[in-house]
Amino acid sequence: MRRFLDSLYRLGGYVSALQLMIIMVMVVLQVSGRILDKALQALGMNALGLQVPGLAELAGFLLLGATFTGLAYTLTVGGHIRVDLLHRAMPENVQRALDILVTVIALAITAYGTWFSISLAYDSYDFGDLSIGMVPVPLWIPQAVMVVGLVWLLIALSDALIGLITGRITHLKDEAPQE
Amino acid sequence: MDMIWMSLVLLTGLLILLGAGLWVAFALTATGLAALHFFSNIPVGDSLATSFYGASASWELAALPMFIWMGEVLFRSRLSEEMFTGIAPWVGRIPGRLLHTNIIGCGIFAAISGSSAATAATIGKMSVPELTQRGYDRKQILGTLAGSATLGLLIPPSIILIVYGVATEQSIARLFVAGILPGLLLMVLFAGYVGIWSKLNPSGVPAEEEEALPLAEKIRRSKPLIPVVLLIVGVIGSIYAGLASPTESAAVGVALAHLLSWRGGSLNRETFGQALMGTVKTSTMIAFILVGAHFLTVSMGFTGIPRDLASWINTLELSPYMLLLALTVFFILLGCFLDGISVVVLTTSVILPMVQAAGIDPMWFGIYLVIVVEMSQITPPVGFNLFVIQGLTGENIIRVAMAALPYFLLLLAGVLLITIFPEIVTYLPSQMGN
Repeated sequence: MRRFLDSLYRLGGYVSALQLMIIMVMVVLQVSGRILDKALQALGMNALGLQVPGLAELAGFLLLGATFTGLAYTLTVGGHIRVDLLHRAMPENVQRALDILVTVIALAITAYGTWFSISLAYDSYDFGDLSIGMVPVPLWIPQAVMVVGLVWLLIALSDALIGLITGRITHLKDEAPQE
Repeated sequence: MDMIWMSLVLLTGLLILLGAGLWVAFALTATGLAALHFFSNIPVGDSLATSFYGASASWELAALPMFIWMGEVLFRSRLSEEMFTGIAPWVGRIPGRLLHTNIIGCGIFAAISGSSAATAATIGKMSVPELTQRGYDRKQILGTLAGSATLGLLIPPSIILIVYGVATEQSIARLFVAGILPGLLLMVLFAGYVGIWSKLNPSGVPAEEEEALPLAEKIRRSKPLIPVVLLIVGVIGSIYAGLASPTESAAVGVALAHLLSWRGGSLNRETFGQALMGTVKTSTMIAFILVGAHFLTVSMGFTGIPRDLASWINTLELSPYMLLLALTVFFILLGCFLDGISVVVLTTSVILPMVQAAGIDPMWFGIYLVIVVEMSQITPPVGFNLFVIQGLTGENIIRVAMAALPYFLLLLAGVLLITIFPEIVTYLPSQMGN
């Protein structure tokens, strides 16, 4: 079970990374196409008009996907920042109690957000909402990805909460932030 | 009165949540939820879901992971060594000599990476041992590094300016261009201070050990730096000239950074994976904070607090200078406890309407805010550059902070200069095309 959960969070990180890679490659292709066209025009030839249709909107959706699918992974590697100034000054058992408290709050907010994100995605599906770009995308797709990411985060937060209560972990993972 | 009471309740709640150790993004969201629930009659859950969705699907925001990625790749290349050996031959005759490798190195790396902690780590890794071994004054080694590394936040591409631009709907390209001259100004201030200091304390700078190198030799030693400098000029230049949007030039920058790192022999499966996963972590963290901040901004808008606060400030008839003075003190205090990105997003949720009502240009205010946040990077107890340099050198954090104090004051002088001469910020953007 432990190994399954750890791989699950890592998988979230990989899915997020994959979406960032797709954004990068699409944008580089788009820019290359534009440079090629400029070069052809400079040589007096016809532009090929190579471009990735609806790129801006697609990149936005992929970024949303990358952010939400990366949430659980980032939590488990201690990437989300928090103020630990007061925290570190407390005795061990108070620290643990505070960690449990903040995990419960985060869990409640995530559960609330997940519930209403499901309803948002369902409404978009129901009304058949489409995006307004050159390539119309049904809005429920990116919104469902958002729900998946939030559920992933719910699992990671519950896992951390159970770990804190049972004493499997003594504190939440924190890493020196890179600002 | 009502408005002041509401803001105090929300602010206290936010501070308690942050103090308890709740993650920043969740603390912002929780405050937004409370604001909507208690002080408006807007459906809370639907606004939350719409904000989550609306704030994260953004083409402009895609510049964020791309620039982080570019910095992560170059951070793992041999840049650290190349930077020192490439800059050292050129500064041997300037008063202060090799201390300037910290300033110039940080300035160059700042133009690659948007992060000041990464800038301090990359430059310091090589320059701290080299300068110590040659007998430079320890305090100045630490001070120049801590101070100059804060330039990572201001000199484009700047992660924090992307955050400000997205949160306030300002053009990121213009903000980047606006950061160029103030960044150079601060470098000149730092270098000038080091020059004067070394004239007054000749014992802190060891005598020149090697005779002047011929020009050809200097160029030969700096050769490894040329591709990096071209990359910077290409990325920033294409944004300035309007040839590419920040997201486009960032994505091309990522590809070129991989090419440079491959040619330098430091690209392999391991470094590629580390850079990419490091990007996922940092970019997810920042994007999630932005999502929380966006929701807080929307909620605050519904409660009417920022608008009331703005008109209240108006009735005080403060001059913009007085307002800025008060805000500077407030931000420096806030920055002692909060990280820079949180300071920026809190500002944009509540304070920006007030600033605009006082007739201050939001683009100028963004640059001002970043310099003030830079100051907070080198003030204890929470100053990220101090932590990095502590980790790098094993020096006590208070000692590093004392060494950085002159640079804190120079940053303050920088704030003063851009306030008296706002053209330092606005000139270059006004010369841009659309």
